[in-house]
Amino acid sequence: MVTTIWAGLTVGAIYALVGLGYTVTFIGSAAFNFAQASFVMTGVYIAYLGLDHWKVPAVGVILLATGAVSLLSVIVQQVAVAPVRSHDSLLVTTVGAATLIDGVAQRLAGDQPLQVSFIFPNHPTTVFSGRVLPGELWLIVMVPLIALFLTVISRRTLVGMAGLAVSADNDAARLFGINPKRYAIGSFALAGAIAGLMGVFVGPETSAFATLSSAIALKGFVALALGGFRSFFGAALGGFACGLSEAFVARYLGSEYQTLAVFALLLLTLLLFPTGLLGERKVRTV
Amino acid sequence: MPRLNSALALQRRASKYGWIFTTLAVPGIFLLAPLLGLDLNDQRTVELIVLLALLVSGLNLCYGYAGELALGQIAVYAAGGYVAGYASINLTSDLLVGVLLGALIGPIIGLITGVPGLRLGGWSLGMVSFFLVLIIPDVVRILKSYTGGSAGLNGIKLPTLFGSTLSQREMYLFIVAIGALWFAIMRNIVVSRRGRALLVMRESPLLSSAVGVQVFRAKLVAYMVGAIPAGVAGALLAELDGFITPEYFSFSLAIAVLAATVLGGRTSVYGAVLGATILELGPLRAGSFENYTFVVYGLLLIIGGALLPRGLVGLGRSLWRRFGPAASRESSGVVEALDPLVLHGSVLTVEGVSKSFGGVLALNDVSIEARPGRVTSIIGPNGSGKTTLLNLINGFYHPDHGTVRLGDQAIHRLPSHRIARLGVARTFQTPIVSPELSVLDIASAGRDGLAPSKLLSVVMRLPGYRRVAKADAHIAGQALQRVGLAEQASEPSTSLPLGSRRMLEFARALAVSPSLILLDEVASGVDEDAIAELAVLIRGLAEAGATVILVEHNFRLVLEISDEVYVLANGALVASGPPREVAEHPDVIEKYLGTAPMAKDAE
Repeated sequence: MVTTIWAGLTVGAIYALVGLGYTVTFIGSAAFNFAQASFVMTGVYIAYLGLDHWKVPAVGVILLATGAVSLLSVIVQQVAVAPVRSHDSLLVTTVGAATLIDGVAQRLAGDQPLQVSFIFPNHPTTVFSGRVLPGELWLIVMVPLIALFLTVISRRTLVGMAGLAVSADNDAARLFGINPKRYAIGSFALAGAIAGLMGVFVGPETSAFATLSSAIALKGFVALALGGFRSFFGAALGGFACGLSEAFVARYLGSEYQTLAVFALLLLTLLLFPTGLLGERKVRTV
Repeated sequence: MPRLNSALALQRRASKYGWIFTTLAVPGIFLLAPLLGLDLNDQRTVELIVLLALLVSGLNLCYGYAGELALGQIAVYAAGGYVAGYASINLTSDLLVGVLLGALIGPIIGLITGVPGLRLGGWSLGMVSFFLVLIIPDVVRILKSYTGGSAGLNGIKLPTLFGSTLSQREMYLFIVAIGALWFAIMRNIVVSRRGRALLVMRESPLLSSAVGVQVFRAKLVAYMVGAIPAGVAGALLAELDGFITPEYFSFSLAIAVLAATVLGGRTSVYGAVLGATILELGPLRAGSFENYTFVVYGLLLIIGGALLPRGLVGLGRSLWRRFGPAASRESSGVVEALDPLVLHGSVLTVEGVSKSFGGVLALNDVSIEARPGRVTSIIGPNGSGKTTLLNLINGFYHPDHGTVRLGDQAIHRLPSHRIARLGVARTFQTPIVSPELSVLDIASAGRDGLAPSKLLSVVMRLPGYRRVAKADAHIAGQALQRVGLAEQASEPSTSLPLGSRRMLEFARALAVSPSLILLDEVASGVDEDAIAELAVLIRGLAEAGATVILVEHNFRLVLEISDEVYVLANGALVASGPPREVAEHPDVIEKYLGTAPMAKDAE
């Protein structure tokens, strides 16, 4: 029972992580970036390369993953987001970016999943009578901390509030001397950095493989839908809720029902609470 | 004028019979192809192109026209395949039954996922429908006794038609014929007032609801109809191969469908065939190339989405427009003579309305009255609540307190499309234009919600549909002529300069034959000559009997043409009365006129 909770929270943390990334770029540049999950996957691959292939020290791997994925994210922003004029083409180009990243990863690394080490010793322990890996606990703890960090910088700092202004009204923001372009790039850099950093923690859990990203991209969206679309804590809670329901359904009904259950959860949430369980209502303007 | 008229008549005839030609000639070539020595291998390739084109075409309808990216076509494809396969094994091997079941399963899945997916707008439907692809293997596994599980569904019988088994060649002909039938249907849906209404909705759902279109419903219908060809294609695949497995319906294929849509051109009928052909002959077929498919698709989507938003067909069209014969530009929506303009205005009574947003009081106890045959203006500095008041009148917002009545009817609780259907027209501060919509299209858009055509009548081109479409073109053409845009009727609406775009907004409102017309800053960014022209038009509307409400910054224009002026400041009414009286009101001079030049600049 408790083991199932730990398992659910662990996968939930991964979905939450993707949901947080979506929220960052959504607030910073009003762009929904489907490639966010592929950024996490890239972080996982870099963790594999650094820890298991090149045997780089942990700190180096963390810096490398954070920096490289942040850079990748900015490139994606420049190539696949900034030049796109119409809003509805953004999903096409970011799905394209995700497909391209996945495709390149598959070409370079092959189809076989690669086992990724953890930066700390990772022997199973028992916490509250449930079995869990230390790496999993790290994930479960770090995701809410990241949500807290993001909430604080978006609410308490000028930089963050400017970001909120950009997502609310681009033109108005410009009037106040905010440069929406720089915020868009900044938000992608931040989303990429989070994905890269956390890739190091996600890797031991998922292993590195190229088709990892599409499933977590979609479940990250469920996290967002559950938590409302503009709240970091909402995305984190939504991710955990998604992961827990998946774990419990898998345990009591069978693994073939777990994704279906998440899908049903998504449909019901959109139907009954279209702005998410914690979401705010959006006011329409002309 | 006679030349223009004959051009118009020619265009009408071409549009009346042209589709019969295109929908018969193109598939005709493929139907005859076997006789010309098409071998079985090529035959198979054509069959696969048709199946892919069906998937892509459905996505075009939903994404290219209705503006909702639905990535779940593959799931509907799978469902169609399994349903038809199951029916073939357990019910009957008749091909038509399979195809019919495939056609039915599409809209059912569309309804289940569309209602929640469309609730939020934006990317939700795309993600929800993409999720469908993720659950295909699980659903197949759960329903193992029906689907054969991951081993695949075996034993689908050879397809029969009315009792006789089809040969490979006959099956080929059947698939091409079904493809042709769908493309004829698709063509009739999108080249119609309904297709135009979808494009308008894609550009601005707000405008659509302001002209009386039920946006949610229109999107849902487009999504559901777009799922039909996918379900049919699945059924055809099952009947063709006699075997299906969940591996057919992969993420990779879902991405391929999207790539074909983007490549061919999402807002076109035959772009689907082009995109499907390129992908089928290229990435989907190649062997050694296979390892790079994701890389290729990824590049296609990024480049296509960012640089070629209208795909190869769109590229071809713009090249044709630039370098092609100029004659095509001449056909125009010009109408013979102007009918006298007679409008039946209704009294608008706004009583004590208040509206706040998140604690900020945007309107505080505002009452106004606007009568038929009179121009009633609302002025005030930026942020004084003018546009909020307009949004309350046409149903974008609902007041927290107070009532809005049109004639005897309370309208403040009605949704905007219902209010529009009562004859309330409005213009927007930012004129809505699109490269894919002509000037005449935009003007006609005003009529989209007035007499919605039944889908069947659109597809079959029934007389009822033709009558409505003709009336639309006539009234919209007249409206264009009144604002002086008749010559540009068939130009893309994006080719107009800002001043003319405002005139076009005006024409669209006029095409409604409105009882109440709401003009939101029609004169901003317009030069002096055009303002004089606008003044005449606005007075003309009132003299024709309409109730006119004008929200405006240009104080001179307001003084010149208004019968009654209301002044708002910080959401409350400061003054009202005839223009001269208001202009001399001390509060107005202090609060509004004193800051007028600044307010104008900020706009």
